[in-house]
Amino acid sequence: MEYRKIKIDKLSNFINAIIAKNKKLLAPKQKKEKVFFAEIKSFDEIAKNYIQTAFSAKSAVFPKCEELFSYEKINGETVLKNPPPPENDTVVFGVRPCDGAAFDYLATFFLKENPDFHFKQRYDKTILIGITCESGDEFCFCTSVGISPSDTRGLDIMLTKLENEYYVEIITDKGSKLIQEFSEYFENAEKIDKTKYTANIPEYFNNKLVREKLSDAFAWEKWDESSLPCFGCGTCAFSCPTCTCFDIQDEANPYGGSRLRLWDTCAIGLFTKHASGHNPREKQSERWRNRVLHKFLYTDEQFGTLSCVGCGRCSRNCPASLSIIDQVKAIMEV
Amino acid sequence: MSELISKVGQYFDSQIIDLFIGYTQGNNGFGKPAFFTNKEQLNKLTFNEQCIVNLAVYLRKPELKKYSKIGILANVGTLRAILQLTAENQIKDGQYLILTVKDNKVIEFVNLKAIEEWVSNNMPEPNPERIAKMKEFEALTQEERWAFWTQELASCVRCYACRAACPLCYCEQCVVECNQPQWVGVPATGLGNLEWHIVRAMHLAGRCIGCGECEAACPMEIPIGFLTQKLNMEIAKKFGQIPGTKLEPDYALSTFKVDDKENFIR
Repeated sequence: MEYRKIKIDKLSNFINAIIAKNKKLLAPKQKKEKVFFAEIKSFDEIAKNYIQTAFSAKSAVFPKCEELFSYEKINGETVLKNPPPPENDTVVFGVRPCDGAAFDYLATFFLKENPDFHFKQRYDKTILIGITCESGDEFCFCTSVGISPSDTRGLDIMLTKLENEYYVEIITDKGSKLIQEFSEYFENAEKIDKTKYTANIPEYFNNKLVREKLSDAFAWEKWDESSLPCFGCGTCAFSCPTCTCFDIQDEANPYGGSRLRLWDTCAIGLFTKHASGHNPREKQSERWRNRVLHKFLYTDEQFGTLSCVGCGRCSRNCPASLSIIDQVKAIMEV
Repeated sequence: MSELISKVGQYFDSQIIDLFIGYTQGNNGFGKPAFFTNKEQLNKLTFNEQCIVNLAVYLRKPELKKYSKIGILANVGTLRAILQLTAENQIKDGQYLILTVKDNKVIEFVNLKAIEEWVSNNMPEPNPERIAKMKEFEALTQEERWAFWTQELASCVRCYACRAACPLCYCEQCVVECNQPQWVGVPATGLGNLEWHIVRAMHLAGRCIGCGECEAACPMEIPIGFLTQKLNMEIAKKFGQIPGTKLEPDYALSTFKVDDKENFIR
């Protein structure tokens, strides 16, 4: 790993220079009450003083709706077309360490076994600039799932705010290329200890023990009771940085059409409903159980990594105030 | 709060209820929906101005079928939803034990008629901020409104949280889940998003009790409550109907009356 530093007032020049080079820049931006990742045209648009964005920047590599292919009938022949690759790089600025880890999980999910063409097209052109968390809130629990608020996993570049400057860690080749392209804004630096500049996030549970407990929890009698407040809105899945389930839809007319991949959620009954009408997850509690087991057990079995990164969005956004921390703690008390 | 807790405790003791739906204090300052199955859990029961989730949304949960008698702590929105659900034949008299709290006094409704009376005397004042915002909308030209809504609705992710949070959205199969024919486009993009929100607003026109849960649940901060609110204002003006205030069905968009003033319907 290489290290640099950048003066606080130079950061805006760096960001504006990236935009001037026609790269797409996504950054946290205030909407009304909440902050969302959005394309910005100037550093001034970036939100300040927020803990976490309402949604992650997942859509940069896995959009809510994307075309897998299109086809057109030309003189009786059907012509298939792949969507074109993105022309320019996308730079995502202000990625929290939990979201960096989530990008790492997304890459494992989409690229490890059968590399997904569409994901790869976007992922290869996406550069993630992370930022160390200086504070957290009561929903943050990254340390409980093995991530620290200054973790560099999954990121290309990591910034940590010191007294008068940002400490810059260059993690990947993609990150190194970007820093080289804009090297005039950076100075050389030595490795430092980031602890002093990092938020203190309490550890609510030990995920290894949670995993052991969950491997035996499918028939836990309290799933019903603990999920009663859930009315199945699906906000947890839509705002989750690691939820990857999708729906496939064809949009067609007599002359052509396209196949689309859309975000989906296991929180609603239709997700598992069979054509016969039978639904193996008839009740909301069964859907809630699936969510908990998927995040803390199933992906660990499949990929050797949890798919919960402790960002807290599911709980922060839940209209029924359900808390994933409370749920895991309740299971651990059994 | 002690009167409420002791009263609900007595209901558990005398086996009048085996489940009570109320609130506990949530992490975010708001009341958190909570389900109590025995007296010992009631020390966490709370009720205040910040308990705004409309608990009527839970009454349709299949998980509740295993409880023989359910008690529910209702704010005005919940009571109005109960009235509207009764008018739509979804709730029967005596099916639930319904309580509210006003000025620190616990009120138990002896029947649904009592709720109708109570609601007529306790209708909430319209929120001045919302009225001002509605006036702003009304002052816009049609083109400006179209531009506003197409932009706002473009961010919709089609999670259907608005539908899930709505106590009046109880269709077993929603029109968007119908795919033969596919009435509403599924992708979370321009046209499909518009279609979904227009369908939703029209289906709730004259039925929406204005609790605001759809808007509160929307993770994208889309002000969708204004669509149903505006339709309700029109219906109130033209037909004098206010949803969630009467036990008898009184639904402008599906009621036929022989003395209808319009000729086309006769």
